Amino acid sequence: MSFITDWLEWLPELTPGIAISLKLTGLALLFGFPLGLLLSVTAESKFASLRWSSFFAVEIGRGLPALVLLYLLYFSLPDMGVILDSMTTAVIALSWNAGAYASEYFRAGLSAVPNGQKEAAKTSGFSTWDGFRLIILPQALRISTPPLASLAVLVFQGSALAFVIAVPEIMSRAYEISSMSFQYLSVFTLTAVVYGLITWAFLGLVKLLERRLNRHMV
Amino acid sequence: MALNLGSKTSPIPISGGVHVSRLGKSYGSHKVLSDVNLKMHEGEVVSIIGPSGAGKSTFLRCLNYLEVPTEGTITIGGARVCAEEGTPDKASLEHLRKVTGMVFQSFNLFPHLTVLENITLPQRKVLGVSKERAEDTAHQLLKRVGLPDKAKAYPARLSGGQQQRIAIARALALSPSIMLFDEPTSALDPEIGLEVLAVMRDLADEGMTMLVVTHEMHFARDVSDRIMVMGDGGVLETGPSQQVMSNPTHDRTRQFLKAVLDR
Amino acid sequence: MFLDIFLTVSRGIALTLYVTLASLLIGGILGLLLAAGAQSRSRIIRAVVGSYINIVRVVPPITWLFLIYFGLPQFAFKLSTLEAAVVGFSVIASAFMAEIYRSGLLSIPVGQREAAWALGMNPMTTARWIITPQAFRVALPAIATYAIGLLKDSALASTIGVHEITYYAQQSAKQLHQGLISFAIAGVLYIAISLIIAVISRRTHLMLRKKIGVA
Repeated sequence: MSFITDWLEWLPELTPGIAISLKLTGLALLFGFPLGLLLSVTAESKFASLRWSSFFAVEIGRGLPALVLLYLLYFSLPDMGVILDSMTTAVIALSWNAGAYASEYFRAGLSAVPNGQKEAAKTSGFSTWDGFRLIILPQALRISTPPLASLAVLVFQGSALAFVIAVPEIMSRAYEISSMSFQYLSVFTLTAVVYGLITWAFLGLVKLLERRLNRHMV
Repeated sequence: MALNLGSKTSPIPISGGVHVSRLGKSYGSHKVLSDVNLKMHEGEVVSIIGPSGAGKSTFLRCLNYLEVPTEGTITIGGARVCAEEGTPDKASLEHLRKVTGMVFQSFNLFPHLTVLENITLPQRKVLGVSKERAEDTAHQLLKRVGLPDKAKAYPARLSGGQQQRIAIARALALSPSIMLFDEPTSALDPEIGLEVLAVMRDLADEGMTMLVVTHEMHFARDVSDRIMVMGDGGVLETGPSQQVMSNPTHDRTRQFLKAVLDR
Repeated sequence: MFLDIFLTVSRGIALTLYVTLASLLIGGILGLLLAAGAQSRSRIIRAVVGSYINIVRVVPPITWLFLIYFGLPQFAFKLSTLEAAVVGFSVIASAFMAEIYRSGLLSIPVGQREAAWALGMNPMTTARWIITPQAFRVALPAIATYAIGLLKDSALASTIGVHEITYYAQQSAKQLHQGLISFAIAGVLYIAISLIIAVISRRTHLMLRKKIGVA
């Protein structure tokens, strides 16, 4: 069982990578979900330019493979004079990708809220923004939360891609360790286990969340 | 006499009608059927009527072991199964299913197959009949139920009445000793239902043994030889159709008939 | 210049399609076996199938690719970049396809099994002729959606050196310093292929719905 000792030896080197992966995931969700909400709302906008912008942002964000989006930003931004570090680029790419998918879930949630709610909010004296924030959005979120939570898990898995633009996350560290030790099988198995356990934990939380949400649903 | 279309490999023995004795079914402590007895000779047509929840469909579905009875013995066309003897062996169940043909309220035709394939597939897979013979039989049956030109159609394009008639043909193709009908017209508009009832009537006239759960009182009175009235999981009374309908012995039957016929 | 880049990047289309379709096919067949296993009466088989699906789905595709391409040679044999990619994506696809089949199976009305039973069909005949064909047709939209997802995942094959679209776009970006154009073209190609899959799927779906009323 020598691989266990190897694994224990490598874990300390891998751990900073785990922190980076989680940070990357967190930031991508932090920016991606609000972006998704924004895109879902502007998709129904009165202004054609907003509608089209939203449309293209969504179609590009989810029509392109996340890897291509990542490369696109990484290679093209410097040419346009925007110099960003890898982490930031990765956050932007993942946020865009996540936001595009999230916008679809938000749209589904929003359209599931009965029209009467909007009218009731207006006639109850709420301003448009307050009515949206306090009446419509919470109900929409109840529907959207499960798929959004699953999306969060996928974003975590997507963070593995940041490896290709040299973000020092899990895959990056794993590759380094394996290049030096030549224990490719062992290292990458450990990597798989690490991703697997974290993802599993996430999924468990998602299930708990779903159960709580449905607690007082009929 | 049953359609003698059995194949050489599995001749259907035309023997002894139906004998159901002390059939019962419970879900845990909840008894849905108790002590149901029925004897039918070949060529007899019996209708089962009664209020909803009386266990009529459950009883019918026990006869081909679609539902598993917890008590009682079933003997049909030479196949014998006894609930108290534990789970029946595969061969007995296969025999039971071969001698019974069932027509469902929701037709249950196979939507991905043409009408012809719906009728030939069971023959080929269950009886081992060749493709040509199966198609011959299918065409004959389609003519009998009045739909000779629908062979290549898909069920989705047909009306409910047409689908049900094809379902009847499909069941007949396996030459069963008895045909079990589970509310065959309940899902159909009354006028459409008439075409199905007409086919069933023809079938009865040709001597098929039939057991029909139905709400169609006219059919029950005019076409069946006997009527079995069920209520609360048990048999209230059984007797010749005319007699049961006009002169029921049980109060509950009287109540039920009044409610149904007064509509 | 634009045309040059377009032609270069387009050279990757063949392998992108190959990886996607081969993995979909192999994964589809494996997934069918897994779905059948999930219905098994043996608790061991069900447990094995369940574990396989759960393990495959929680590890990122890129990790699987690296594990198979770099790790396998140490354990067994060496696969080429293309073989490793197809094996990796087939395994991943099989897990997702198994879940898609499972949903398809659940949507078959119980009356179908009842009719097959009443007609005397045994379980295997019922599964083969009645249930599976219907489940498959019902699952087609979900399979098409997954195929598009798989197409996008196939871009990862570039990380282990498969000469598909993203690989060529990368080369072009690095050598000609035309990152934006290269990857924009790559993006357009992926979207175009996705659209083609979506259109074919929709046509097939409508045709099936008209003909047999299923799905």
